[in-house]
Amino acid sequence: MELYTPEEDRKKGKRKVERMELRLTDLRDGESGIVTSVKIGEGRRRGERRGAERGWGFRRRLEDMGLTPGTRVTVVKSAPFHGPLEVFVRGSRLALGKGMAERILVEVER
Amino acid sequence: MKKDKLIIALAGNANVGKSVIFNHLTGLHQHIGNWPGKTVEKAEGTLHFKGYTIDIIDLPGIYSLSTFSIEELVSREYIAVERPDLVINVVDASVLERNLFFTLQLMELETPMIIALNQVDMAKKKGIKIAYKKLEKTLGVPVIPTVATRGTRLYELLQRSVETIEKRGKKLSHVKYGEEMEERIEALSELVKKVDYPYPARWTAIKLLEKDEQVEREIREIDPELLSAAKKFAEEIERIHGHSCSTVITSERYEIAGCIAREVQDIVPPIKPPMRERLHALTTHKILGYPIMAISLLSIFYSIFTFGNYTSSLLSDLFYGLKPIFESVLGVGIVGRLIWGGVIEGIIAGITIALPYIIPFYLALYFLEDSGYLSRIAFLLDNLMHKIGLHGKAFIPAMLSLGCNVPGCLGCRIMETERERLLAAFVVTLVPCAARTVIILGLVGTFVSVQWALALYIIDLLIIFLLGRLAFKALPGEPTALIMEMHDYRVPHLQTVLKQTWFRLTEFVKIAFPLIIIGSLGIKLVEVMGLLNPIASVFSPITVNWLGLPDVTGIALVFGVLRKELTLIMLANLFGTADFVQVKDFGPVQMIVFTLVTMLYIPCIATIAALVREFGWKKALFITVFEIVFAILIGGMAYRLLMLVY
Repeated sequence: MELYTPEEDRKKGKRKVERMELRLTDLRDGESGIVTSVKIGEGRRRGERRGAERGWGFRRRLEDMGLTPGTRVTVVKSAPFHGPLEVFVRGSRLALGKGMAERILVEVER
Repeated sequence: MKKDKLIIALAGNANVGKSVIFNHLTGLHQHIGNWPGKTVEKAEGTLHFKGYTIDIIDLPGIYSLSTFSIEELVSREYIAVERPDLVINVVDASVLERNLFFTLQLMELETPMIIALNQVDMAKKKGIKIAYKKLEKTLGVPVIPTVATRGTRLYELLQRSVETIEKRGKKLSHVKYGEEMEERIEALSELVKKVDYPYPARWTAIKLLEKDEQVEREIREIDPELLSAAKKFAEEIERIHGHSCSTVITSERYEIAGCIAREVQDIVPPIKPPMRERLHALTTHKILGYPIMAISLLSIFYSIFTFGNYTSSLLSDLFYGLKPIFESVLGVGIVGRLIWGGVIEGIIAGITIALPYIIPFYLALYFLEDSGYLSRIAFLLDNLMHKIGLHGKAFIPAMLSLGCNVPGCLGCRIMETERERLLAAFVVTLVPCAARTVIILGLVGTFVSVQWALALYIIDLLIIFLLGRLAFKALPGEPTALIMEMHDYRVPHLQTVLKQTWFRLTEFVKIAFPLIIIGSLGIKLVEVMGLLNPIASVFSPITVNWLGLPDVTGIALVFGVLRKELTLIMLANLFGTADFVQVKDFGPVQMIVFTLVTMLYIPCIATIAALVREFGWKKALFITVFEIVFAILIGGMAYRLLMLVY
């Protein structure tokens, strides 16, 4: 697996490295970022009737699996047709549903 | 005073080798049941060691002790309230950080514990070396490195366990959070100490700060003022950190776990990617992953059905060969016929129709699960399952259902929430099981055409998809997204696979066999009493007028509820021939309609029993009634459509 490293770009002087906040699903394969926040319970979606309550459970679950703010997470790849993401976090490999991954915001250097 | 009976619980993440250790320790002295009032499995076993009788409880594999799933709730209640003498925390040495996160939570529960640092061989292959003595010192908990699959150092594990219990009273160490957090935890636990609550005070304080639903609810009943104190503290933390208090606590806990892990492990990753990594990349590949999955699953299904079919007919011949012997003993009078046709034939049906498919299905399932491929399949299929409001893991009960719907329904337990379990169970009861396959292939496949049999499968899949989607839209709540660990590929542990298959099998026999026997007895009774034709005429408005079938099919359909595969045999009896082509009024259209209805109209009585067990009467009844009405509706429509074609 080849990792995308912004440092290399910087060394070669190709372009300036920028920090930006993206959704986890916007990362390229092999790219990694730092979790900043999880957008749950903010802005109701269709069919979400007990939004806040269930949101609590999801956030909990994500955090329990190690995706806490400040954690480095690497997107290994995503399954085709808007399938789940394979991410590498805290030394283990997780499968994350797309709908869930979309709500995780990460800071990346590009 | 020396106790001679000890209780030790095994706790840890999923797939760390907990059940392997459990099997090694307890051998054949095991018992699998349910936690009282919960649909969560409880595995218990006994062993004798140094004059003690030790009960071992295998807790479900979980990642945390919050209240996300019933498993987590059951585990923490057990540890804190039932207070086992010791908890053996099984830790996967190759994923230390995540596992330690759970260890820290166990320590917060203030239970006496030791750590089995398992799969050190796997860790070594990944280039991870762990200074376990250092880990022991840091945590203040005994650590024994083990390789459960080979039984390495399990004796030592037991020895240290007993020693730890005997030396009880040692002060337990716990996690230290940040200063501002510690202050508030201290203050809050002082308040908690004043009320009567079964959990440790410090733990309760932390859970209150985390806004744990269950603890909040229970404390509210005891002392509502505690809640407002906790709320105030939590808000202060939120102001300091800018994140919710539970996020801060979880973060800090993970930071500590990470720190400890970095301190005790020495990682030199292998230069060449090992075989299992390449296998992982290949089997989850964006394009290649799918054909590989399709080929592996199809070949598994094909082998299972070939084996099942062969074994089934072999066993059936064997048992029916005994019929003359039986008749010479009990005679062919009413009693003899009832016992043979009711009881014995019921047992034979259970053995010949269900077991030859269920056993290989379970074996395949556990091989796939233990090796790690099952989680990759769930990864690949997640997207498809989402269309019907489920996630990738729902593939597992669906696959089991191809063998028999009963294990399928029980398998729905792997879904996290009650809503998803119900949704999955509903979908699963529509999957054509081995018995239904017998009918599809035996009637349509033989007398109409193989293409039509295939078409029926596809129609069934479409129906499952549409109904699943409807049910998903109708049921309140948001779908749970997939969050699943994909552990490294490994060679499955044969003993554990066999044992799990064996337990599932006994579970199946206990649920299904009594009902299959009662069902067969019922059919025989009605037949002996000469009530078959009256029943047929009662249902003729539906069967004859709406579905366009000969009226005797009503009998077959009614008794198909009891034993689905029997419908074909009954039909042959009723028509007086097994060569259905010769039967008047039973052409291709009727055969297709009949099969379609049989396929959809109801899960059999054993499945209904499984549904009742898992979801209660009301929901089971609802699913059953819905499916009957739906099948009749679709059957009638199909009849009218097919009449236009033929």
